[in-house]
Order: sequence, then structure tokens, then C-alpha cells
Amino acid sequence: MREILRDSIKKGYTVLPELEAQKICESYGIKCPPTHLVNNKEDCIDAGNKIGYPVVIKIFSKDIIHKSDAGGVVTNINSDEELAEKYENMLKTVKGKYPDANIEGVVVQKMMSKGIEVIIGGFKDEQFGPVIMFGTGGIYVEVFKDTSFRLAPLNVDEARRQVEETKIFKVLQGVRGEKAVDIDSICQAIVNVGDLLIEYDEISEIDLNPVLCYPDEYVAVDARVVLATN
Amino acid sequence: MSEFFNPRGVAVIGASAKKGHPNNQIFKYSKEVSLNGKVFPVNPSADEIEGVEVYKNLNDIPEPVDLIVFAVGSKNAISTANDIKIRRETKGDAGAVVIVSAGFREMGTEESIELENEMISIIKSSGARVIGPNCQGVVDLFHGVNTTFSVPPNTPRGGLSIVSQSGAFATSFIRWAKEFKLVGANKFVTLGNMSDVDVTEVLDYLGEDEKTKVIAMYLEGTKNARALIETSKKVTLKKPVVAIKAGRTSVGSNVAHSHTASIAGDDSIYDGAFLQSGVLRVDSIPEFYHTSRVFDKMPVPKGNKICLLTVVGGPSTICVDALVASGEAQLAHLNDEIKGKISSILSANANVGNPDGYIDMTASVTPKMHEDIISLLMGDESIDGIIFITSPPGFIGDEDLANAIINGYNSVSEEKKKPLLTVLMAGNDVKNCRIKLEENGFPTFEYSDEAAKIMLNMVRYGQYLQRNK
Repeated sequence: MREILRDSIKKGYTVLPELEAQKICESYGIKCPPTHLVNNKEDCIDAGNKIGYPVVIKIFSKDIIHKSDAGGVVTNINSDEELAEKYENMLKTVKGKYPDANIEGVVVQKMMSKGIEVIIGGFKDEQFGPVIMFGTGGIYVEVFKDTSFRLAPLNVDEARRQVEETKIFKVLQGVRGEKAVDIDSICQAIVNVGDLLIEYDEISEIDLNPVLCYPDEYVAVDARVVLATN
Repeated sequence: MSEFFNPRGVAVIGASAKKGHPNNQIFKYSKEVSLNGKVFPVNPSADEIEGVEVYKNLNDIPEPVDLIVFAVGSKNAISTANDIKIRRETKGDAGAVVIVSAGFREMGTEESIELENEMISIIKSSGARVIGPNCQGVVDLFHGVNTTFSVPPNTPRGGLSIVSQSGAFATSFIRWAKEFKLVGANKFVTLGNMSDVDVTEVLDYLGEDEKTKVIAMYLEGTKNARALIETSKKVTLKKPVVAIKAGRTSVGSNVAHSHTASIAGDDSIYDGAFLQSGVLRVDSIPEFYHTSRVFDKMPVPKGNKICLLTVVGGPSTICVDALVASGEAQLAHLNDEIKGKISSILSANANVGNPDGYIDMTASVTPKMHEDIISLLMGDESIDGIIFITSPPGFIGDEDLANAIINGYNSVSEEKKKPLLTVLMAGNDVKNCRIKLEENGFPTFEYSDEAAKIMLNMVRYGQYLQRNK
């Protein structure tokens, strides 16, 4: 793992590529959606079957930062036929828009159903050292600022209190007749992010956002690992 | 650090003969509180200050001086620093230096920062430790040390120690508490520019200090917040630390690449880190003073079940609201047996247990009723703390009411003691009752919601201790 990180820093990246970020999170027991990187249509369909429909496909290229704008993200694919068609169309569209981009492949990922969105994050603070954040996730994180902080390392009981300090905690417990989500596993994920942050000097910040929460599990759909480049 | 608080002698460099000058006051206070009278003024241009012979130079003092009060202007800073170094190297004392002078780093100019750095490095090279500059220094009421010009020498002694990055904050706390004997103090340290001894080191020292029962901390910031939190974690297992911190409004951090780093301000991290390390962070100055002082007088509650005993309706309802709103504390359950006993003492229209844990005695009360009921509540182990609220009826004397509360409370053995906060909603009209209670170690309040907030802070600390046993 450390090799991946050092290698990425050497190549001049500030943010670890998505698949590597997922790998490093998984090595710390953080659950991410089933994901395959493929290079041809046959492998793509094979991946779709292994993962189980519905799936999402995303273009994988370090040259393309805004994947959606480039037409490089297609969601809600439900069959082999549909997958084959969308795969080819996507490559055509992206190549049309970015003829010079080096396309390393296509990511096939499980399409997750709607869950409660939280954020688990961490960073190294100049004064405090490793700090862990939990809160309401999604695209409006900065607007709602429903977050609470702890210093890492921390144990699951402390993580639990951290979760309880936020407003989203009530939602996680189940409101309006909804089932409660698996809060214990989220607390464990918070602890793990703290440990991960402490283990690697090469990492300066981590964002798991959104983390989708379900009654029996959570899935960190988007893992962003920022590298310590100085 | 101990040389700051228990010196064999004190030298005041820059002591002034001029009445009304801060450096005259510093010398007077130092001299007045000193237990052995070994306080020596140093000033090249004076012969006698307050009837005491003045030394021209620090190195002329023939007796040991462990604590040096450095009160000369910044233009004499370097020569004074050198005098201290010489003294330390030739006589081996002068191990603790309090620099009360200003005109250094806090000015923000390059010259003033350089001057401070040079002065400190000279003193530190001799192995002496420095508090300040730009501070009021230290007070130890048990060992007779007072380097300030504003802490009155007759301040009551007790278990409160203060560490503060503002001199005025610490001294005003002590003075605020004085008339009503709201708290007894032990040590206090004001840190100024923290060029050597910092807040973490003092916190650690006070944590180890046996006479310190509770630590009140005013914090602006520290370079190593992680160390402060680690030390706090250790200290709060032994005694409560109450913190008020400036800077609720955050200053933007450096460029961040993640949501997490962009959203995190120092202040919100402090919030979490203080909770994690058992430090009670408070938001207002009254809450800071009261939370700190109750721990000097009352034991920590073992649980979160609070009983409300009252003579007045409205203020008690407000108190209940404030107490239970966050869910961290709740009203205690009163069983039928205790309810029966209480009802048999009170008049027929008293409200015993509606809601559960709430007793309205009504105004037809006697001192004896107060004593008996408080005694019953003290004996009931399902109650972890009591708030008693009254606007004392005119027909009960101040002294009688105070005695009833004290006797009721003291009717149980030491290990059964739990916090009792008394709200006297009549201001200075019941001054004597208040002073009598405070003198005997019973915290009093003017407002019922304030008492609820303070009880809640006590409960929070108690719960933290329970979790970390």
C-alpha cells in the first residue's frame, strides 16, 4: 500500500486515483462498492455479471477530471445488452470530447440504492495532529456543517459519542417509521479511518463522501485520499 | 516549576517607591503575603521602598532568592536578563522568573519579537524558567506568593487554581468571588506571551498539585494543541478542568483539498477534543466562574438523576427545562416510600412527585421542614444531585434557613454526599443567608436556570469519570 502512495506522490498527484483510494480504504476494513476495472467489452459484461445488476460505468483516465461533463459516467444499467451498448457509446463520446486523453479503462461498479448520506473524513492538523470528522454527507456538506470532531486514534465508544453529537444521528436511528441503520459499523469505519490516517504519513486528508448507510451495512461510494506532497 | 510557588525568597527587579505605581503595588503585595518576609526590592535609583532597603543590583542580595519578579521596562530587558543569568550561575538560585513587563512579542513588530527572543534565550541558557512576559505572574495563597498588583492579599484560600492567558481574567474571577465568599483559591498562573512555560505545562503541574481540587483555564491558543489535549486527558481523571476559550469565530485554515479539511476550524476541533479528554468547555463567563467554583465546594455526582426541591413555581419550571433539554440529565425517580415520608412532613397542598423527581413544598414551610426533607433526599441513593430553589419567605430568617440547609445536608455520612445547589432568588435581599451558606461550602445561585446549567456540567464530568474508570 505504501508503495502505491509513494508512487503516486512521485508521479506528482495531489489526489490518489479512485481505484487506489478504494483499495487502501478496503485494506482498513472500510466497505466500498464492488468495483472492476476493465479494458474491453467482454470483460465489462463479465464484470457486470459478477457484480450483479444494476451497475454504473465510469471512464478511468487521469486526464479527465470532470467525468460527468465528459459523458464519462453512465448509471442504472440493468442487463448485458444495455451494458454492451452503453460501454461502446461512452467510449465514443469521451474520445470525441477528449481525443488526446489517455484512457486507462472503464470502471464497472455496483449501483447502490438510496441510503442515508453521511461523511467520514480525516486530516492532519498542524496543531492537533490526526483529526476525524463525522457528519451529514452529500454535496451540501459545507452548507449544513452538521459535523463533529475527534482526535485520532479513538475507540468505537468515542466514535459513537461523536456520531450522537450530530443532527443526522436522529435520522440514522430511524425517523418517520424508517428502519435504523447499522450505526455500529459506521462507528467502526470512523475508528478505521483514524487508524489509516495515523499509519500513513503519505496521506494528508481523507474524505469518504457520501457514505451510504443501510439497515444492515454501509458503503463508502466515493473515497478521496489527498496525498501529503510536501 | 515549584520554585515559582514555594520560593525561599523573592526579588522584585524594578520595584518602585512611587505610590500608585504598579511596580510599587507588586512589591507591597509580595511583601505583605510573604510567609518569611524575604522579599527584596531591586532598583538602582532608590534607597528604600516601603521601609525596606533597596539593592542596586540583583546580585547584591545576600540571601537566596528563587523567584525573580522582572518588572523593568523593555529597554533594560537584556541587562536584567544578564543579571539573572549571572546570579543563577554564581549563586545557583533564581530558578523562576516572572516577567510582568510588556513591550515584547505582543507589539507585533520585528524588533520587539527579536528583543523577547534574545531576553528569553539569555535567561533560559542559565537553566531558569520563565513565565511571561506581559503577564501578571503567579499567586500561591498557601505559600504566600503574589506577583500581581490586583489580587488582594486577603483572598480566601481553597481548592480552585486558575491558569489563564489573560491576567485580568484570573484576577477578576478572584475579586468577583470575594464579597460573597463564592470560592477559595489556591494557585493562579497568568501566562502572557508564553515564551517559555506554556499552558500545558502549568495544567500538568496543577494536575499533580494536591491542594488543587479544580482547575479553571482561560485559553486563547497554544502551538501544540495535541499536547494540551493529552495532558488534559491525564488531569481530568484526577480533577475537573473547566475551560473557556476565545475564538469561537474561526479563522480560515490553509488551502484544503477535501470537504473535511475545509470545514474544520480550530474551534470545532477544540469542541470535540475537549469532550474527548473530559474538559468541560463553557460558553460564558458566569458559567465559567460558577462551574469552576462548584467543584471546589461540592462532590462530583455519581449519576445523572437530579431531584428538584422548590418553594417557587415558575423559576423551577424554567430550571427543569434547562436541566433535561439535552437529555444528559433527568429528574430522579422518587419511590412511594420516600414520597410518603415527604408528604407527611409538608402541608396538604404540597406537590410531591409531579412530575417525578419534583417537589414543590409551597410557601407554608418552616426551617425544620427544609432540614428534614433535604435530609431524606440526601439519604436516597437513587438521587445523584439536588437543586433547591427558593425565594426565601419573609417569615424565615436568613440564618435559620441557611442552618436548615446545612444540617439537612450534613445529616448523611461523607460517602453519601452528593451535590446540592441552592438557588436564592432574592438577590442581595438575602445576602446573609447566601454568605452563611457559601462560607460553609454550599454554592448558591441567583437564577434557577443558571443552577441547572451548572448541575448539568457537574453531571457531564461525573459521566466522563464513570466511563473512564
